[in-house]
Amino acid sequence: MSTSTASRRDFLSFPLRGIGATAALSLLAAQGRAAQGRAAPTHFPAKAKRVIHVCLCGGVSQIDTFDFKPELAKRHGQPLGGSERPDVFFGQVGLLRKNDWEFKKRGQSGLWVSDLFPHLATVADELTVIRSMVAESSSHTPATFQENSGFRLNGFPSVGSWLSYGLGSETDDLPAFVVLPDTRGLPAGGTINWSNGFLPARHQGVMFQSKGAAISDLVPARPLPPDADRDARALQRHLNQLDLADRGANDELDSRIKAYELAAKMQLAVPRVTDLSGEDEATKALYGMDREESKDFGRNCLLARRLLEQGVRFVQLFSGGPFGSPRINWDGHEDVKENHAREAVRVDQPVAGLLKDLRRRGMLDDTLVLFTSEFGRTPFTQSNADAIGSGRDHNQYGFSVWLAGAGLRHGLAYGSTDSIGWKAVENRTTWYDFHATVLKLLGIDHTKLTFYHNGIHRRLTNVHGDVIQGILA
Amino acid sequence: MQPLLLLLSLSTSGSGAGPVNFDKTVAPLLAGRCLDCHSGADRKGGLDLSTSQGLHAGGDSGPVVDKKPSESLLVQRVNADEMPPKHPLPLAERAILQKWIEEGAAWGSDPIDPYRYSTSTRAGSDWWAFQKLNRPALKPGRANLIDGIVRAKLVEKKLTPSPAADPRTLIRRVFFDLIGLPPTPAEVEAFARDASPEAYAKLVDRLLRSPHYGERWARHWLDVSRFGESDGYEFDKLRPNAWRFRDWVIQALNDDMPYDRFAKLQIAGDVLEPANPSAIVASGFLVCGAHDSLQPAGDVMKQIMRQDELEDLVGVVGQTFLGMTVNCARCHDHKFDPIRQSDYFRFAAALSGVRRGDRALPVKPPAELADKIDELRKNIAALEMPARERVLQDRKTSAKLSPQVPKPFASWDFSRDLRDTVGGLHGRAIGTAKLTNGALQLDGKGHVETGPLPVSVLEKSLEAWVKLDNPDQRGGGVIGIRSPDGGVFDCVVYGEREPRRWMAGSESFRRTQAFQGAEESQAHLKYVHVAITYAADGTVTAYRDGVPYGKSYRVEQQQRFEKSSLNHVVFGLRHLPAGGNKHLTGSILRANLYTQALSATEVAASALGEGYVSVSDLEAKLSGGDREKRKRLLGELATAEVKMHDWMSAKAFAVTPQPPPVTHRLKRGNPQEKAELITAGGLSVLKSSDFGLPVNAPEADSRRRLAEWIADKDNPLFARTIVNRVWQYHFGRGLVDTPNDLGFNGGQPSHPELLDGLAAEFIARKWSLKELHRLIVTSDTYRQASVSRPEAMAVDADNRLLWRVSPRRLEAEAVRDATLAVAGRLNPAVGGPGYRDVRPYIFRTSQFYEPLDPEGPESNRRSVYRLSARGGKNSLLDTFDCADPSTPTPKRAATTTPLQALSLMNGSFTLRMADHLAARLRAEGGSSTDDQIRLAFALAYGRPAKGPELTACREVVSKHGLAPFCRALLNTNGFLYVH
Repeated sequence: MSTSTASRRDFLSFPLRGIGATAALSLLAAQGRAAQGRAAPTHFPAKAKRVIHVCLCGGVSQIDTFDFKPELAKRHGQPLGGSERPDVFFGQVGLLRKNDWEFKKRGQSGLWVSDLFPHLATVADELTVIRSMVAESSSHTPATFQENSGFRLNGFPSVGSWLSYGLGSETDDLPAFVVLPDTRGLPAGGTINWSNGFLPARHQGVMFQSKGAAISDLVPARPLPPDADRDARALQRHLNQLDLADRGANDELDSRIKAYELAAKMQLAVPRVTDLSGEDEATKALYGMDREESKDFGRNCLLARRLLEQGVRFVQLFSGGPFGSPRINWDGHEDVKENHAREAVRVDQPVAGLLKDLRRRGMLDDTLVLFTSEFGRTPFTQSNADAIGSGRDHNQYGFSVWLAGAGLRHGLAYGSTDSIGWKAVENRTTWYDFHATVLKLLGIDHTKLTFYHNGIHRRLTNVHGDVIQGILA
Repeated sequence: MQPLLLLLSLSTSGSGAGPVNFDKTVAPLLAGRCLDCHSGADRKGGLDLSTSQGLHAGGDSGPVVDKKPSESLLVQRVNADEMPPKHPLPLAERAILQKWIEEGAAWGSDPIDPYRYSTSTRAGSDWWAFQKLNRPALKPGRANLIDGIVRAKLVEKKLTPSPAADPRTLIRRVFFDLIGLPPTPAEVEAFARDASPEAYAKLVDRLLRSPHYGERWARHWLDVSRFGESDGYEFDKLRPNAWRFRDWVIQALNDDMPYDRFAKLQIAGDVLEPANPSAIVASGFLVCGAHDSLQPAGDVMKQIMRQDELEDLVGVVGQTFLGMTVNCARCHDHKFDPIRQSDYFRFAAALSGVRRGDRALPVKPPAELADKIDELRKNIAALEMPARERVLQDRKTSAKLSPQVPKPFASWDFSRDLRDTVGGLHGRAIGTAKLTNGALQLDGKGHVETGPLPVSVLEKSLEAWVKLDNPDQRGGGVIGIRSPDGGVFDCVVYGEREPRRWMAGSESFRRTQAFQGAEESQAHLKYVHVAITYAADGTVTAYRDGVPYGKSYRVEQQQRFEKSSLNHVVFGLRHLPAGGNKHLTGSILRANLYTQALSATEVAASALGEGYVSVSDLEAKLSGGDREKRKRLLGELATAEVKMHDWMSAKAFAVTPQPPPVTHRLKRGNPQEKAELITAGGLSVLKSSDFGLPVNAPEADSRRRLAEWIADKDNPLFARTIVNRVWQYHFGRGLVDTPNDLGFNGGQPSHPELLDGLAAEFIARKWSLKELHRLIVTSDTYRQASVSRPEAMAVDADNRLLWRVSPRRLEAEAVRDATLAVAGRLNPAVGGPGYRDVRPYIFRTSQFYEPLDPEGPESNRRSVYRLSARGGKNSLLDTFDCADPSTPTPKRAATTTPLQALSLMNGSFTLRMADHLAARLRAEGGSSTDDQIRLAFALAYGRPAKGPELTACREVVSKHGLAPFCRALLNTNGFLYVH
């Protein structure tokens, strides 16, 4: 019997899909595959096998980070001009404000990176910056949903879920898709952000908590005598085997027996991977774990690397918690300088350290690192029309993200915004394009990774998306 | 989408013998390949290929057809791979065009109806689902419609049906199927012993009459309805009145409401029967999905969000009732089904007045209740009177006993007017604020402001006697001092950061922390006194009815409000600028401002007044018997008042209609590109789809007509869709595999005759779902064994032909409910607000839901009563594939994962239930271990334990006791699967 809602058509549309395919049955397949040491076959030769996604919540200012606009500095204090009334989120359009951090050309590539990210500046030659991103919403949550799932709406699978579905996992004892939220709180929308949507439950993001057992129900909710626990498990297994013997061959009943074996392996694997005590001090320092401001995010970055090493497909790290005041994310409405300085110091060294560590271990050759924000910020301030305020509003029309790692042209700045860094004008890039490119780097044709749901063969990229050829190596 | 591989069906006259049939072959080809550009007002190259006249008129480059195909421009451009651009025509299609022109390019239907015929890539109007129901004749020798058709198909494939399932298997199956709970051991044994031919029919009858039937089948319907009890998105706000829709579904199913009425009420109950509270509740169906309540300032984004909302509405109505994905035609004609973009907008026009919100229900509280409250109040007053007088008498003799209150700096008595009765800080009403019924009435659109502060204020106390219209309102201010732009303020605020809690509001929460006071439950029933004191050392303290409210806290610095023309006292508004949730809705009786921080005793005295007698003073003067009596009466009064409030404030989260703007078709679905005006209507592929309404028809008419058109017996999609759904829940798979999609992507039914037969029978039996269940579960097909047979597996491993009943894993809710039932802890209470296994909390401005594992009877209710917040997950239900309330779920996955195993093995719920089951076995299972184990199997598996099972279990029980055994048992396949 079919144990998955994936219809026959979905199998055909992605005929070579890996072990995510048939949920229950895949557990068997995974074991077989692991034993034979084969990776999941893909549409194209895959450049990257795994992904770390650093998701910066609130909207990072492109003009203060990666999009250097000397013209904006010249027009500092002038009105925006022109006839267009900007459709900004809070409706206030103040005067233009120059970048609050100096820009310098970095590394051999000469990529512009501002002084907000002194550590990332040292790995500029690893980065592929897209400076011409556009989003479809200037409201945080729909924009974040789109950044993660391609759709502005609740209820669609996120990138990590799609990859789990498309490529399966390379490990049996850890989830394929792991989420590490900011220690200060979940992003707005909470768990909806890493939902599997209509994909089967096994593809949902599994949140690792920073306190207590890393994942819920990993260990019994209250301590049990070890031998009673062990004997109960053995009895459960034995009763299942008796049942199976009575009913004859049944893949589904059999795979449930296997699931309990995998659960037992997971109980060992999770504490092992989250125990950082084996990492040397130099490595921890590389990730900024020796500094108060960066130790939380540094820990998450280091944990992300360890998870990838163990075969996890997709790790998503959130920088920033929910909205409101005082700010604990990048949403610098009141004072970008204060806000971004505080947020950047938390992530700058950890993310740079992560890239360095991946590079020295050779992992960057087949790993993809994504560093994105749901949208950018306006070059004019959020203030009265005659004032240079200190805060900036949301800007969906042009912002910067970067990628690093496998299959990319490094040290590249792709696309551009207008002279003041407001709207993308050259090589406008949508989230559909971005996602199509990520899938391509993982060996997947974004038009062929589909799942039938309520009348539509759904895709991560809806009915849009072009692979950004210009950034591919 | 998919590449257009137009493999025309050549079984009709194609390039083979005989003349080309224009309508069947050429028209679909032209429609699929050419008409996107070469038709309509802005046709490319001036060429219109949708009409005979257009073809013969040609385009800007001249005529396109000639008697000789080789001379025809159309053929030349196609053969040169220029047309269609980038997508050269396959050879077979070129041949069709060539032959057609050779034969004189005869035309058919004019203009071309591109969707007249189905092709290999899309459905046309001849698609099976749109055809009239074809009621089959009963197969001879078979009383049951189902068995005749299923057997005939099996015979065709040389398969035989399975023998009947044994009674224990069957009763467990039909219990879970119809009521979602396991049978008790006594029920199993009684059924197993009853050899009478009516035993099974009687059992089915009993189950269909059980109140648990509605709970079981409502869960299926809630999946399809994308029912949730919070907004989703950033704010994910709770909808405290959304549960009424869930209860309505349960009740309607239990009452066996005819399905056509069931559907009509959900689409338009509020306009069909506006005086019927339950019809209003039913309309909750339309609006129970996620909705982004955060609206940006910009119009463009707002319009797109509104269109997204309409797509959700069109989608849920089309998919749920018609099995058609009408929403796929928002930006262009449907790619697979004969649904035009204009059809989408006809639906959108009918639904465009739908908005969502809490709606008061037209209910009247019973007179007895009001009388009872009156009487209780009188009795309490009479009981207290002598004691009260004695307390006041004592005070006259000793001044020390009298409470002292400092004189306020300003004082307002709104039972009289807006004037300050001490100084000159007189108020004036702004907006709708007014004095009526002896108090300041605030309806959420007005407030009161005084003249400027005549002194500078650092230390202060704010107090007021206030009553709320609605205890769930969020963010209104009662009394405060504020600067002109609202940039600086201190204010007594209700429910802003946390629902139902008082707080000291301030700009950017600068001087605001949670008092952690109790949830407010009285302020909508009576006036409460609320005071906040701001001491010079930074201490902020709150009081409610004269006693400290939660804990005080300290801020670094109190705000000094300078003597200035700019600082004012304000009532009913958190701060300026006015608007939104900053307004209070309720009434204020009196209020005081002190320029000092009152002490706790002073606040108590002020709150309670001269004539006030504290409870302790009062009780001291009452006899023990009277004290008890008073307590009992107060308890009764509180209960009655809560009941009265429930009556008076009965609300449902439902449709709150608004007159909609006219509807335009939007090119590419873009709100900025309006095309022609559209009026409400049905799908044009079906009959009577034109409602003949004007473009500005009242929304009630549009929606009512849509509901009536959908739920009509002559609408073949309507009955087919529900019958297929019901079949799916009984057999694990629909006759059409995609219950929300009977269109092209859904494919053909496995048993078309059966689908039609059931649909016709369903209508004939007056749309009775219970009769439909009865017909299905009493069939031999349903009563077959589930045992796998190799010879049948080889032919039909998927069991599409139903040579057996496929075993199924229990759904998430059934796992939890059955565990509760087996452990003897299930609370069978039906209906009411949901139990909460999450803690809703507000962090910053966002709503979050922390998972909890609450214990006790309330949370031991059936899972359908779980508060279903979109951001509030339950890891057990989640890992067992429960529906995500953010999206319609017509069919659940049944996955098996390690996380599922961890959740069921280690979760606190299972451990607790294992303990309860162990206790039950000890209490009910006799004294011998073997008997206890036997009872456990009878409860969990519905059958006796077998020898080897008993041996294995006995060993574990003897070593570790019953609980570890119970934990293991609740994790086994014998419990989790239904055969």
